[in-house]
Amino acid sequence: MKNKSALSKKKYWLSLEQWSKDKDFQKLAGQEKEFMNPLPSEEEATGLWERREFLQLMAASMALAGFGCVRRPTEKIVPYVKRPDDVILGEENIYSSSYYDGEEGFGILVKTREGRPVKIEGNKNHPLNQGGLSARAHSHILSLYDPERLKDPQRNLFNEVKSNREFIRAQYPEADAEIVEHLKKGKAAFLTGEWPSPTSERLLRNFCNTYSCSHFVWNPLSHSTLAEAQKICYGKTLVPHFDLDRARFILSINCDFLGTWLYPTELSRLYSKGRKANRDMNRLVVFESLLSLTGTNADWRVRIKPTQQLELVLSIVHSLIKKGYVKEKWPSHLREPASPYKTFHMDKSAWDKLISELWENRGQSLVLAGDESSKDSRSVQIAVSWLNHLLGNDGWTVDYVRPYRTWTWADRKVEKLIKELEAGKIDTLIIHKTNPLYSYPDKERLAAAVKKAKLVVYTGDREDETGKLAHYILPDHHDLEKWSDWEFQKGVLSVQQPTIRPLYRTRAFEEALIEWSYLIKGGSGEKKSWYTYLKKNIKYNTEAGFSWDQLLKTGVHIRKSDQREKRSSARSFKSSAFTFIGNFKSQGQNKSDKEYELVLYPTSGLKDGTLANVSWLQEFPDPVTKICWDNYLCISPADARKRNLKEGQIVLLKGGSKHQLKIPVHIQPGQADGVLAVALGYGRERAGKVANKVGINAYPLAEVSKVGQLVSFVSVEMEPTTEKILLANTQGHHSMEGRQIVVETTLKKYLENPGGAIHRHKVFSLWSSHQYPKHKWGMVIDLNSCTGCSDCIIACQSENNIPTVGKDLVLQGREMHWIRVDRYYKGVPEEPETVHQPVVCMHCDNAPCETVCPVAATVHSDEGTNDMIYNRCVGTRYCANNCPYKVRRFNWFNYVKKVEKPLNMAMNPDVTVRSRGVMEKCTFCVHRIRSAQAKAKLENRELKDGDVKTACQQSCPTGAIVFGDLKDKSSEVYRLFNREDSYALLEELNTQPAVRYQVKVRNKEDSGKSHEEDHHG
Amino acid sequence: MSRKLSGRGKKVTAAVFFFFIFSGLSLFIFLISNNKIRFGYNNDYQPDQPIPFSHAIHVGQYQMDCRYCHTAVEEGRHAGVPSLDTCMNCHLTVKPDSPYIQKLREAYENNQPIVWEKVHLLPDFVKFNHSLHIKALSSRFAESSQLPPSKEQIRKTCTTCHGTVENMEIMYQHESLSMGWCVQCHRKEEHQAPINCSTCHY
Repeated sequence: MKNKSALSKKKYWLSLEQWSKDKDFQKLAGQEKEFMNPLPSEEEATGLWERREFLQLMAASMALAGFGCVRRPTEKIVPYVKRPDDVILGEENIYSSSYYDGEEGFGILVKTREGRPVKIEGNKNHPLNQGGLSARAHSHILSLYDPERLKDPQRNLFNEVKSNREFIRAQYPEADAEIVEHLKKGKAAFLTGEWPSPTSERLLRNFCNTYSCSHFVWNPLSHSTLAEAQKICYGKTLVPHFDLDRARFILSINCDFLGTWLYPTELSRLYSKGRKANRDMNRLVVFESLLSLTGTNADWRVRIKPTQQLELVLSIVHSLIKKGYVKEKWPSHLREPASPYKTFHMDKSAWDKLISELWENRGQSLVLAGDESSKDSRSVQIAVSWLNHLLGNDGWTVDYVRPYRTWTWADRKVEKLIKELEAGKIDTLIIHKTNPLYSYPDKERLAAAVKKAKLVVYTGDREDETGKLAHYILPDHHDLEKWSDWEFQKGVLSVQQPTIRPLYRTRAFEEALIEWSYLIKGGSGEKKSWYTYLKKNIKYNTEAGFSWDQLLKTGVHIRKSDQREKRSSARSFKSSAFTFIGNFKSQGQNKSDKEYELVLYPTSGLKDGTLANVSWLQEFPDPVTKICWDNYLCISPADARKRNLKEGQIVLLKGGSKHQLKIPVHIQPGQADGVLAVALGYGRERAGKVANKVGINAYPLAEVSKVGQLVSFVSVEMEPTTEKILLANTQGHHSMEGRQIVVETTLKKYLENPGGAIHRHKVFSLWSSHQYPKHKWGMVIDLNSCTGCSDCIIACQSENNIPTVGKDLVLQGREMHWIRVDRYYKGVPEEPETVHQPVVCMHCDNAPCETVCPVAATVHSDEGTNDMIYNRCVGTRYCANNCPYKVRRFNWFNYVKKVEKPLNMAMNPDVTVRSRGVMEKCTFCVHRIRSAQAKAKLENRELKDGDVKTACQQSCPTGAIVFGDLKDKSSEVYRLFNREDSYALLEELNTQPAVRYQVKVRNKEDSGKSHEEDHHG
Repeated sequence: MSRKLSGRGKKVTAAVFFFFIFSGLSLFIFLISNNKIRFGYNNDYQPDQPIPFSHAIHVGQYQMDCRYCHTAVEEGRHAGVPSLDTCMNCHLTVKPDSPYIQKLREAYENNQPIVWEKVHLLPDFVKFNHSLHIKALSSRFAESSQLPPSKEQIRKTCTTCHGTVENMEIMYQHESLSMGWCVQCHRKEEHQAPINCSTCHY
């Protein structure tokens, strides 16, 4: 096999350097990369001991040790004075609650230990996420302990008083008095984000009505265009719920529903439900401009420019009409698209197949358009609604009866607010749950307008960009400290209960509203607290079957009438909607070569940038690019070649006349030519130590549409500079050189022979195998269900006290994530096929790491796990070098020393915090195994399947990870582990992993070559 | 004047020198490996406590149930040191004039905890679960397998590791709490206890 031709057939590649067989790269890979960087010098390791000092101290402590009898270290025991009833020292308490991250909502379970929240898990009872959780929701715990949070209300000095401080501590009564004074005068306005909390909304609405305040909304990632299009088409403003599990054919047009659009955690779950490899497996076709997470999962992917979206949708409708599938008149004001397959550079047969497939699956297909940030996005949304209507999807896969909840009462336009501020019509401005001076595109104008207000009150949790301009910052509670209710989807009410007493002197925004209206009334009568108001006014509380206690217990109340069952009748499509569809421009040609279309996209880590100061999210490798700690300008390989750009080279991006910014380039395979893309959420100025100056703020490159939607510039220009920076990419150094890593097959082949694509190796061992008397823990990862969303990385990080190391160390390949999600490209860089593969420690039976450890710090247990004993480890790193899966991580520094208080409170007390010089790796969540075993033992029963769930498994929205006991023949993992479509990674090494993968199945016709050609590089 | 060693003398001196070093080292290794000399352990560690609480009086004389104060011992990994309200259950009326009880009462009324010195200290990388050990060991002293463990049964179980607490005026560490000490019990066949590294270290 190892001849030259086989080598040249190597299919998978990881980075462009590798693909292009760049000589420099080859040289580095061959010789120098092995010792890529010199060891960190003493100066680099600031805050750590110098060697000489260390030796002196060691000598001193040796001398002291001789004296004996005195124990060091000593510890104190501080018992409670009055023990709370429900706290048992060392045992966890779990509260059901909810969390809304600005765009997506979750039912969550908060694990608290001795009264402090330490971990967030998905609530299985919640119909939306059903146990899955996003990376952002996990990170929510770290934002609670953010050291930069304000500890007191603040008054801005505006440098009127000569002082070296911007803010001084304020008192609530004083601040309230001043605010009420202003509120009484009228001319007050609220500028808020959106949060679907019925009671909170009701309180705010009542307040606004009673005291005639106007209300504006700024949410940079709103779905108002989608909602508006629904109104135009069907007469009601709503964001429908998309039942992806009912769809057998999904056409996504620039819609990253698996990564960032609407409720990706829920949509991923629904998508994967229809993704099981059987005859009913759904088919996903994606037309998109950048390579999104959804695009990487596509069965068929076509690159288009954002300006071509409308033409695409209309071409599909036109073809449906022309082929006589649908009886519909073509609107006379619209141009008729000609030969669309030419426009989109595909075969005629492929286009015809797309049309016929859409028609064959009518009634159980779904067309989604996600891009709401281009100029003609409203037309696109209307056209897509029309298409879904023609295909009979309305009422079935497009669920308008149980829509996602949105606000309809606010005057959302910030533009109007600015005008009123400039005209002096607003004196008092109260800003809540939004940070417009970071995320509003024309922030200079907004800032100037805000300065005209006599009193600006901000409820943010830090002195951030907006806080800087506020007279008062009255920090709101963190969501984990606060009562609230949520209705993410109509009829699904979930509660948010506090899980810790407020850490600082903060006050709930709702409490403030109640206080203010009490004071305006003259301070007489009874004052209710926000909690009593909520309990009294919570939605659906008059319904039969509603119980407050039950709500607190399960976390969610589902209205009977809103449970989903049968098909609802399709709404009637308004013919007047056609007039709102603009005409498409023929051919998305750019005027010149130097002009590009710009796409601004949120990343699944940072989204709008509110959680930017959470280090987990900054070090979260993007699911597609695998870059962390930066945003960058994505450019297609062809464009990069044309402009002679290299990865990391800084370019000057010019949008319009006044906006330009410098940003490094990332060459992104699969990106449409002529399109540039920049991620939002970066470039914070005043968010805190972690986020400040990380990346570039891309909001100024946008405009705001009439409905308050962020719209990116259509055309931008770009000029290369000679500067260059390194982008911290976690993927380049995880190459699995052309062996059988990801096994992929087509549905047809899979149905004939599920394991046919797997090359089985004949292996034998000189050693006898291990004996497992009771348990043998194992895991199966279904590559077909895995979308690559990488939520498991943060779940694991939160569970196992994994440190973040910063950009410099990631560049040296020293990131610490115990689970990584590898991403491989296949094919040509212009149109790659992409696969994702989560890799954990394989817990091999014949573990290569165990045999080389000189101190037996990594040993095999009789339960099949490969144990890592930190206190025995001396840090030779032999094990890491001998691990073929490269899953071991080394503590180059004492990272925990740099954890600023109170972030240490987020640590999981069940897992040892590792020190410098110690190897670590995935433990199969052995502490969870031990607690489950302890629990079973105390209850006098045997462990049963499902008692132990690893953190990654628990968080996975699609259920791709199954963990359990392989000795238990009735367990789910046993069944999957021994199925013929399961295979072990690098089976030929005979490491006998306890982790197996199930083959990835693509629902497409043409197959690749047989596995013989695929593998064996 | 000084005399120089002859060539033979040098050899003999060197041989004697190395003999002593070698035999000394061997003896040291022998003693260490057979637990004849030990260091770093803390048997008999008996720190001064803010209140000289006597187990001898409470357990020995008054025969109190261990679980009256160490409430979590059957449920959680830590046995738990009683909160002050547990003490005050009796000491509101019992011996209220004692200066130590007054100190206790003062702390209780001011909502200030008593800060005790920790006697049994395990390193952070060792995970020990009280409830499991109570469960496993108490069954060995069981009078009947049906009933929940009795006071006497629990006391016997606790003293297995903590020594004769009922005789201790001031609490001290009875066993070494070394890994060897843990493992010698785990290894006993009748206990059927796991001896994986990850049983305790994770």
